[in-house]
Amino acid sequence: MSSNSDHQNHRRRPYVSNQQRQSTAVIVPTPCSHLTEFKAGRGETAFGRCGACGKGPPRLYACVSCAAVVCGVHAPDHEHQIAIDVDRAELFCCSCGDQVYDRDFDSAVVLLQTAAATLGGCNSLCTPPPESIRKRRRVDYRPWTPDSKERALLGTHSSLLPGNNEDLSPNSNFPVGLKGLNNLGNTCFMNSVLQALLHTPPLRNYFLSDRHNRFVCQQKNGVNHNKNDRKNKNSQRLCLACDADALFSAVFSGDRKPYSPAKFLYSWWQHAGNLASYEQQDAHEFFISMLDGIHEKVDKDERKPHSQGSGDCCIAHRVFSGILRSDVMCTACGFTSTTYDPCVDISLDLVPTHEVPTKTLHSCNGKAETVNSGISTLLGCLDRFTRPERLGSDQKFFCQQCQVRQESLKQMSIRKLPLVSCFHIKRFEHSPIRKMSRKVDRYLQFPFSLDMSPYLSSSILRSRFGNRSFGFEGDGKDPDCSNESTSEFELFAVVTHSGKLDAGHYSTYLRLSNQWYKCDDAWVTQVNENIVRAAQGYMMFYVQKMLYYKASGTS
Amino acid sequence: MSAPDEDNTSNNTQLASNFFGELLDSVIMDVASECHRVARLGLDRNLDDEEEELRLSAQARARVADPSNSETNSKYVVDIFGQTHPSVAAEIFDCMNCGRSIVAGRFAPHLEKCMGKGRKARVKATRSSTAAAQNR
Repeated sequence: MSSNSDHQNHRRRPYVSNQQRQSTAVIVPTPCSHLTEFKAGRGETAFGRCGACGKGPPRLYACVSCAAVVCGVHAPDHEHQIAIDVDRAELFCCSCGDQVYDRDFDSAVVLLQTAAATLGGCNSLCTPPPESIRKRRRVDYRPWTPDSKERALLGTHSSLLPGNNEDLSPNSNFPVGLKGLNNLGNTCFMNSVLQALLHTPPLRNYFLSDRHNRFVCQQKNGVNHNKNDRKNKNSQRLCLACDADALFSAVFSGDRKPYSPAKFLYSWWQHAGNLASYEQQDAHEFFISMLDGIHEKVDKDERKPHSQGSGDCCIAHRVFSGILRSDVMCTACGFTSTTYDPCVDISLDLVPTHEVPTKTLHSCNGKAETVNSGISTLLGCLDRFTRPERLGSDQKFFCQQCQVRQESLKQMSIRKLPLVSCFHIKRFEHSPIRKMSRKVDRYLQFPFSLDMSPYLSSSILRSRFGNRSFGFEGDGKDPDCSNESTSEFELFAVVTHSGKLDAGHYSTYLRLSNQWYKCDDAWVTQVNENIVRAAQGYMMFYVQKMLYYKASGTS
Repeated sequence: MSAPDEDNTSNNTQLASNFFGELLDSVIMDVASECHRVARLGLDRNLDDEEEELRLSAQARARVADPSNSETNSKYVVDIFGQTHPSVAAEIFDCMNCGRSIVAGRFAPHLEKCMGKGRKARVKATRSSTAAAQNR
């Protein structure tokens, strides 16, 4: 190929991938005499045969001490114990006759495998998350009771609410904060979500410990208290957090008559104008809208950072916001593009019936119980949510390494778990094409205790590399990253929908002191946990088992 | 000494057995290696809990589906505080938009018109004069 070197200097060659540069014919260079001599008589398996019997691959072991190669039969006879299973890159102890594990070995293997897969780029392991560098120390939960000085303070600066005396009616035996909500006209969608939020531990604690005092907030923003001045009514400051504060105060007052969340409805309709109409709304839409409302108003007041992922902006995000990680991997070269997005809940598709696995449990006496043949489960939905998904050929992703659009795999995982996880099951399907909607009534099993660790980014990444144990993005040292101790959750509220798509009813089951209650608008009744397990869940609320508190201050 | 034919047969049997053994190994080994790693690294420690939850769920559904179970379909008589409630909430309060006294159970439809929102509401500019003048 004649090329003018001057010409080359003036014209920059465009970047092409290794694949495109290779020609079809590969030249095998002539071997040197030593190589020829070595290969003579050894044939195809010259570079991998058992030293004892000459057996070729597969299933050979390479000794790490002396580099001898042995087969499975002769491995126990070898003088050294530790070898590598060549096929699987696993450590094998010839003495024990068993596979053994080592972190350093795994790290080395992963690095080599990644380098090979991504043609030298180890980007999926090295991408740092775009979050604040400021380190936050985690402080363990310590239960608190007032000391004598604090008790005195409590006594002089507060008074017991009526109805809280111990010698009164049996109503005081029920948890404080249990109170019905009046239906104001097709507002069960709002009531059901409010009941769940009223009993969301971190949210409840925030408002009950006066963290957003509605009187102080209104005073700060100069609300005109003249009720007769209608013209000024429109300039009345809208603050959903203040309305929430009023709601918490009323519900936790100890009074058991149902509460009418009229002001809340009024405020919410002012905030979410497009959803304001007298017809059944979607509870999940209301939930998102309400969190957004609290965020918007509090944010403007406090001038806190807007980054939702860190949860520093407002109590709504502090409680519900987590971070999702999305990896898109080029199927041609292995290059992975990673993005992080905050989320306040996880919406899950119900697994299609044909994909649901059948499970057979074997009980102790040997009889096989076919349990849950074809039952959808929350864990199954989460498995599906985090599985690698092949993007269609019409959704080719531009690979930065290949510099062309390639077919790719997409995989979701959870980088940071929120304090409270809300799972929304997509039971309402709206088809804009067919101009109709339908409801999926299929039962979904959900656990009372939930371990989210298999869905964490660290776990998903680890399984992508054959479940190797290796240091991943500062494993455990990064306080923003969730680890095992914060991935255990307990169910505390379930919003259910019964009935048809347009003529249905929402109610909420609450778990307080391990007792379940049903909140059906104004009616609060006690129910057996079986009722809850068998219910048709629409939104499930889980809270971290071990609540932790962020240490304030220090950078 | 066995006859050559018998030798052949036993050799063939031995070979066949060896081949089968190798095939079986190659099928099993990959899966065994992966599962061994998962088990040893403790990545499957929640399987028992998961199965327990599934079992409890199946049990619960069976009990609830049982027609002799009175708990499921009972209509509300009293709530846990001994109260009863009408199908339309009867509490009365003032509308914070127009000031009128409204029954709780009819507040939402009232508010919709009052605020001028929703499909059924009339599109009117000023609220206060309309609310005062309208005779509903």
